[in-house]
Amino acid sequence: MSHPEMDTDVESSRQERAAAAVRPEKGMEVFRWVVTMVVVALLAWGLTADIRFNRLLGAIPAFGRILWLMFRDPDWSALPGLVSAMWESIAIAWLGTVLATIVSIPMAFLAAENLAPRPVVFVVRQVFNVLRAIPELILAVAFIPVFGLTARTGVMAIAVGSVGTLGKLCYEIIEGLDRGPIEAADAVGATSPQRLRWGVLPQVMPELASFAMYRFEVNIRASAVLGVVGAGGIGTLLSQYISFKVWERAGIALVVVIVATIAVDAVSGRIRRRIVTGPDGTVDDSSIDPDALGEASIIVHDRGGGPGGAGDQ
Amino acid sequence: MSPFAIAMGLLVVVFTAVTVYATDFSLAGIVEDLGRPNSSFAGLLHLDWTQVTNTRALSAFVETVQMAVIGTIVGGFAALPLALWNSRVGAPNNAVYTIAKAFNNVVRAIPDVLWALLFVAMVGIGVLPGILSLIFFSIAVTSKLTSDVLDGIDLGPVEAAHATGAGHTAMLRTAIVPQVLSSYISFLLYNFELNLRASAVLGLVGAGGIGQLIDFYRNARAWRQVWGLIVLFFIITFLVERLSLYFRRRLV
Repeated sequence: MSHPEMDTDVESSRQERAAAAVRPEKGMEVFRWVVTMVVVALLAWGLTADIRFNRLLGAIPAFGRILWLMFRDPDWSALPGLVSAMWESIAIAWLGTVLATIVSIPMAFLAAENLAPRPVVFVVRQVFNVLRAIPELILAVAFIPVFGLTARTGVMAIAVGSVGTLGKLCYEIIEGLDRGPIEAADAVGATSPQRLRWGVLPQVMPELASFAMYRFEVNIRASAVLGVVGAGGIGTLLSQYISFKVWERAGIALVVVIVATIAVDAVSGRIRRRIVTGPDGTVDDSSIDPDALGEASIIVHDRGGGPGGAGDQ
Repeated sequence: MSPFAIAMGLLVVVFTAVTVYATDFSLAGIVEDLGRPNSSFAGLLHLDWTQVTNTRALSAFVETVQMAVIGTIVGGFAALPLALWNSRVGAPNNAVYTIAKAFNNVVRAIPDVLWALLFVAMVGIGVLPGILSLIFFSIAVTSKLTSDVLDGIDLGPVEAAHATGAGHTAMLRTAIVPQVLSSYISFLLYNFELNLRASAVLGLVGAGGIGQLIDFYRNARAWRQVWGLIVLFFIITFLVERLSLYFRRRLV
């Protein structure tokens, strides 16, 4: 027989642990049920659209046939033209991102609650919200009568479309600035530019540069299809080859887009990692998590960009 | 400044100069273009507010939302296993891991409108190619985001599951999925916002929804109507974003 005293000890600590452990709540079951019902109802409602599912049966053989036609005997003479069109898409995405970054920084100062008066903050944030909501392709459609059927339209569509997201991130960084380094700069008698250089920039640059690079990756995907409406880049050729079923060229076009996008992602991803981690691969500032600047984290911890910074906990 | 920062700064300047040349871009040209009267911005000044209550526009919008709903649900569910296989800890073996990673990389590199072009060529125009494109687009977005989160999970529960002799599926269900579930659901909601935005442009290539109406008015040079539709579109996406943000914040 074991010691009675020890037994009760073990028993009581077991109960304590059981009480401390997180138990699935009964409410969770109900919640799960409600969510399932809502999803099923939404799906059922969605399926009432004029879909004509019978066409789905033909999709799989059609897919196989198209793949066969694409890569059976590709027309390699189209490659140089496609590569230079893809390069134009990359250039549009890059220049658009650079312009958006340049414009969004001063705008973000006007949208930061700790710097600008409330009415100004409200107005600038609404501008960001509007720009964030409109897809680049729609902007391109609206810009064509202004800038013509040229790459310039593409650059403007990408730039205007990115100001919203970049501006939002930027004012969130400004609002989260640590006063410490700025006060330290003041304490040693820094001038205004010096304070900016040593107190503000080191805090802002890594996050902003990393996010702008990420935005560039997103914009490549957008600029690759801007040509569908005639705003420059590889999209024009893509839509022509696919609509007119020039499959032996469409296949190469598809491969060019995929390879270029993956390559840019890989290079840009490496640079982003290098920006937030130190030269030896370790984080020199423990407050920055190398993965914290990924899209995933931005979404999970979305701080909201509504009027007056609704939800800034 | 560190050598890395200087090198990056130089690279940015050089690359920007090259792209300015490649796209034949000039600020003077932009200013000049903006100074000329044009039909698009003239339409913006007198935009057609009746589009906001126009039944044809609203029914095209219902179609857009339906496309986004089906695309998110079907694509989002397909994305979970793909995300699990896309990480070393979640894949049953190396072959599955390699295939899932390659598949995800390729799917991610194809933009939404390009999917739509391909599916319109396969099944004809309408809502169906739109839905198919959104399914693939959702797989790309949700599986990438979810597998990013998977890389940072706590491996303790995985070991515990293995120690009790759990099979691979049981381990996934009890040790991994619970850790990423709340992020996964917020990615689905975010994905729905993206799909709504994407489904509005798929119509430009014939894949259903409000984009078809935008394309129709654009070809008729009816800019007042185009801008009216854009305003309606903004109102709807704004409301959906508020709603989604509210739910997403509840989840964290």
